[in-house]
Amino acid sequence: MGEARINGKPVSLAAAAERAAEILSQARMPVIAGLGTDAAGARASILLAEKLRGAYDHMHSTRIFADLDVMRQAGLMVTTPNEARLRADVFLFIGKDLTKDWPAMMERLSPAKIPPFDLVHEPRKLLWIAPGRGGAKGEGLVETLDSSDLHATLASLRARAAGRAVNCAKGTLRKLDEFAGVLKNARFGVAVWGGDGLDSLSIEMLHGLIRDLNKTTRFSGLPLGAGANASGVVQTSGWMTGFPVRTSFGRGFPEHDTWRFDATRMIESGEADTALWISAYGPEAPPWRKNIPLVALASPQTVFAWEPQVCVEIGCPGIDHDGAEFARETGSIVGSLASHRSQAPSVADVVSQISKHLGETPKC
Amino acid sequence: MLIHLKGGHIVDPVNGRDETGDLWIENDRIVAAPPGKLADEVHDVSGKTVMAGAIDIHSHIAGGNVNCARLLLPEKHQNWLPNPVALPFSTAKWSTFETGTIYASMGFTTVIEPAIVPHQALQAHLELSDIPIIDKGMLTVLGNDDFLLSLLRDGEGPAAVADYVASAVAASNGLGVKCINAGGATAFKYNARTFSLDDVVPFYDLTSRQIVEALQRAVEDLKIPHPLHLHANNLGIPGNVATALATIEAARGERLHFAHLQFYSYGAEGGHGFSSAAAELAAAVNAAPNVTIDVGQVMFRQTVTVSADVLRQFNGSEMASPKKSVIHDGDGDGGGIVPYFYRENDFANAVQWACGLELFMLIDDPWRIFFTTDHPNGAPFTTYPEIFALIMSRDARAEATARLPQEAVAMTTLPSIAREYNLNEIAIMTRAAPAKLLGLKDRGHLGEGGLADIAVYSPGKDLAKMFRFAHLVFKDGDLVVRDGRGTHYRWGNALKVNPGYDKAIDRRLAGYYDHHFGNSRDLFTVKEHLLPRADAFREVACAR
Repeated sequence: MGEARINGKPVSLAAAAERAAEILSQARMPVIAGLGTDAAGARASILLAEKLRGAYDHMHSTRIFADLDVMRQAGLMVTTPNEARLRADVFLFIGKDLTKDWPAMMERLSPAKIPPFDLVHEPRKLLWIAPGRGGAKGEGLVETLDSSDLHATLASLRARAAGRAVNCAKGTLRKLDEFAGVLKNARFGVAVWGGDGLDSLSIEMLHGLIRDLNKTTRFSGLPLGAGANASGVVQTSGWMTGFPVRTSFGRGFPEHDTWRFDATRMIESGEADTALWISAYGPEAPPWRKNIPLVALASPQTVFAWEPQVCVEIGCPGIDHDGAEFARETGSIVGSLASHRSQAPSVADVVSQISKHLGETPKC
Repeated sequence: MLIHLKGGHIVDPVNGRDETGDLWIENDRIVAAPPGKLADEVHDVSGKTVMAGAIDIHSHIAGGNVNCARLLLPEKHQNWLPNPVALPFSTAKWSTFETGTIYASMGFTTVIEPAIVPHQALQAHLELSDIPIIDKGMLTVLGNDDFLLSLLRDGEGPAAVADYVASAVAASNGLGVKCINAGGATAFKYNARTFSLDDVVPFYDLTSRQIVEALQRAVEDLKIPHPLHLHANNLGIPGNVATALATIEAARGERLHFAHLQFYSYGAEGGHGFSSAAAELAAAVNAAPNVTIDVGQVMFRQTVTVSADVLRQFNGSEMASPKKSVIHDGDGDGGGIVPYFYRENDFANAVQWACGLELFMLIDDPWRIFFTTDHPNGAPFTTYPEIFALIMSRDARAEATARLPQEAVAMTTLPSIAREYNLNEIAIMTRAAPAKLLGLKDRGHLGEGGLADIAVYSPGKDLAKMFRFAHLVFKDGDLVVRDGRGTHYRWGNALKVNPGYDKAIDRRLAGYYDHHFGNSRDLFTVKEHLLPRADAFREVACAR
């Protein structure tokens, strides 16, 4: 059973919800941050943000917008883990954090297996750019290309794939050409990227490479995205408001701005004066360095820099309770059933209880 | 609650009413005038037009592709208007909440999302759940999925195909089956760049025609009320009328719904190699009583094309405006999101606009032609009122046609057409016929026992205004719109079918998912308790 505390002292969930509502309703500009929660929790939180005329953000926004900003500037070509697993004859991995980010990636994509949907029955070709130390080990024959500057490496690779000249050392050029040759000869290649090492510029260059390759063959992308149901929260936000996270209801309608509604920036600059922190997938603590009134819906064992005014321990979707969430394994929102069902409340439960103290509103 | 609508012009083709009269509502149903009882609420609707709530059979209002379009184009739907307190999010442009509110304000009470792949079904139903006021439903997309294509390649026979189709529809809680460029998305994964009715899908050695036939048969065998809903090959290409004619022929007299036919009504005549072949196509539809179609009318403005026809969308992405697009090679079918601006002064766009109107005007039977823009592909659904005006008024058409490049107009028959739809035909096309096509016996008419989904309009010279702002709208007997404005939210159902089938296929599918995908099929099953409200669904009987 999850615990609830007011100023560090145990209270009932009902008392915690009432106090949380009081704190949030007194705010001039509240912000809902973290948002590590399932679709129901995200939905309840966005409804609450609208009621409070506050803003909301996700703890992994930097990564979310690394991909999303490329999509809405230039577009994307993407596929699913299932298609990658069953069809890709070439994998192009990029970055050193892939398996750290997604420990089950190799098992899920089975790069060492012959892809059953490929017309030609032969082992896949595996390429890895900037694999770091652990990345490319033990997964069949992996050709690697180290990089100290991903922007330059990806730009050079794209240039070589397009038959253009690049200015670099002979050994590097040979390697680039070898990679470009494999990419151009792919039947259905898949580029897999993720981690903090890739910024929007790298991803946009990669997208340009994928578009170029599709002039003659098929190639697609598989961004690993971020954890804590980041994609699921973005999707939920998308249909409810038209926008992803970093959206505010301050003016009575949703406005989206990745700089203005960055929760940490808002809090540290003094623009937001109260926070509701939500983290159901793990004991993540708020990242800001300013002590403002805080309501936290957090995993047990979370260590806070300052004790929140109100803290409710919540369950994890797919473990303590059922939930709809974005699954990296499938690239879609799926139903995750509780593996160890418990009495710990869900984010949606607690947020709805808080919301009830904020006056009658239309049923949504 | 007893409500009396007094003295309106009742237009109810199912019950042969086109007359001044009364209508009574008790709770959520239409009832006979109860002798001796006093109504709790009386609405004087004299001078108003009273119809059943409208039904849209093909509008992309939910699902991963639609949501991707929202996220792709934040600059195209910035907000400026705070919402009324009673309708949270209703002014958030392109939100699910706005969608339900605007549809209702135009007198629409049921809308069908026509393209959801089984693996995206949970998200689609989460989105549909957040569309207020109206009832909705979605069609399950099959026809590029490996399991189906393998069944066909291996010659497993119609019973196995029907079991699989039924299982997929049941797991995704669909109302029917849609097929999108059958085999085309798969062929594109094998680097095909064009794909027609008799082209062969690599790896499976099947033609598009064979896939369509198999799905058509499965839908009939399962007694799903809605016929196979087909998005044919070669959408949007000059000269594709040949494909459309061949596809109608390929239905072999069996029921088939041909989606957004406008996009297939192109010839390749004239100096631009692009012309209207809508007249020829309309004649073919008139001669094929087994075929129903919806139009997919184009209107001149910014929009975004959203389609699971990933091959077509990839080819179209060169024309993106603004210049960005998303191409998604999904499990089975995928999707392509390509923004597009239809321009009044563009030759091809003007021909497309005229083609849609020619189909509206030249297809004789309003029971077999459906009113759509393929929202948002031809235009957003918010343009419906303008289209009503165009099809009801020859003058409105002439005025709009005069603004177009006249060399484009010359490639069409539009100026020669005098027909004007009357209200009875509008009521057939947007109420009675959609209910019949989808098997929804409880709506689309104003007879006793029918669902009290009712739209009351204020007729006037400005036809677009009449249809944009309904005077009153009742959903399930609840007054939800007054003078074109929503009054409050209520939450409708998602309509679905639940065809019977041999459950052995489920065990087989479980094994297939474990082996192929390495995950459980159960992940994708839409479970009602994961949706925000209880009683999310209403079942439509499978029988004809």
